[in-house]
Amino acid sequence: MIKKNQYYLLFILTAVVGLTILVEFVFRKPYSFHGTAITPPLPVTDFALQTANDETFRLSDAKGKLVLLFFGYTSCPDVCPVTLATFKQVHERLGEEAQKIAFVMITADPDRDTPGKVAAYVERFNPEFIGLSGSVADLELIWDELGVFVEKQDSGSAAGYLVSHTASVYVLDPNGSLLMTLPYGTTAIDMADDLTQLLKQSQQK
Amino acid sequence: MKYMKLILTFALAVFVISACGGSLSELVIQGAWARPASAGENGAAYFVIENWTMTDDILLSVSSEIASATEVHMSMADANGVMSMLMQESIPVPAKATVKFEPGGLHVMFVNLNRNLIVGDTFTLILLFEKAGEVSLQVKVKEQ
Repeated sequence: MIKKNQYYLLFILTAVVGLTILVEFVFRKPYSFHGTAITPPLPVTDFALQTANDETFRLSDAKGKLVLLFFGYTSCPDVCPVTLATFKQVHERLGEEAQKIAFVMITADPDRDTPGKVAAYVERFNPEFIGLSGSVADLELIWDELGVFVEKQDSGSAAGYLVSHTASVYVLDPNGSLLMTLPYGTTAIDMADDLTQLLKQSQQK
Repeated sequence: MKYMKLILTFALAVFVISACGGSLSELVIQGAWARPASAGENGAAYFVIENWTMTDDILLSVSSEIASATEVHMSMADANGVMSMLMQESIPVPAKATVKFEPGGLHVMFVNLNRNLIVGDTFTLILLFEKAGEVSLQVKVKEQ
């Protein structure tokens, strides 16, 4: 009787292990991104904008890193800080890996946002974040290239005009090509997972 | 003994209902918080309004002493991911309904803050309702 029980146990154990391996092989899916991949990656013309102390920042300065890019304005109290707070959490989640990513905000409101103002604004979330402004002409180049919509709105607010703007996050590869867009509201966990995967892929190449 | 049990149950039921009664017949505001921001910038605050009364109410205005102006705005996204903010004249709060002020949606906007909002700070925000009158809130500054 005891022997029979042991056989049973062995059988069940083998079955469980076998099934687990089978399930792993059959149902293992490739990683599915939360963002929308751009295939093939779309080369982005190198741009030059200004950051703190009116120093010039070029997209090519970030060569070798992924670039996480979003457009906003410093008078914006809701959507822009939400995205920057997400960036901050992503940076924390990625730990050392975050050094392989440039976190960048480009203004959608050059009339009010000086380079210094944008730089100081993003720095409050993380001192490594890069805030950029510049001439309308220089900004329009990058807005247009990435299809970023920017429009001033008379609001009746004491804040003066408000700015409607595309709130998606753009991911550029280490060569400065557009790799992926992530919609507004993507959580820090999802964003960090996608970036981890993109970092893995860029290292395999 | 049989009756004793019944009476006790009844007494407990009455106690529970009367204890809840206070909040079940009022307009309550929960979880008020604001994002950190610096003086001179604009800020935002969020909370949840629960109208437990039998009557529809309207949020008419908001006020505070921490900014040049205190307004209600709504962030909205269109199909292309373009975000806009629209200033709101008033916000209906129907009977037995919950209205959420949350990131990326309805929010109180502080225009030109006259002080820094630092994590851990609290400040007073006053909401004026058509029926419920003035409701004073303590708003806590936190990251998320």
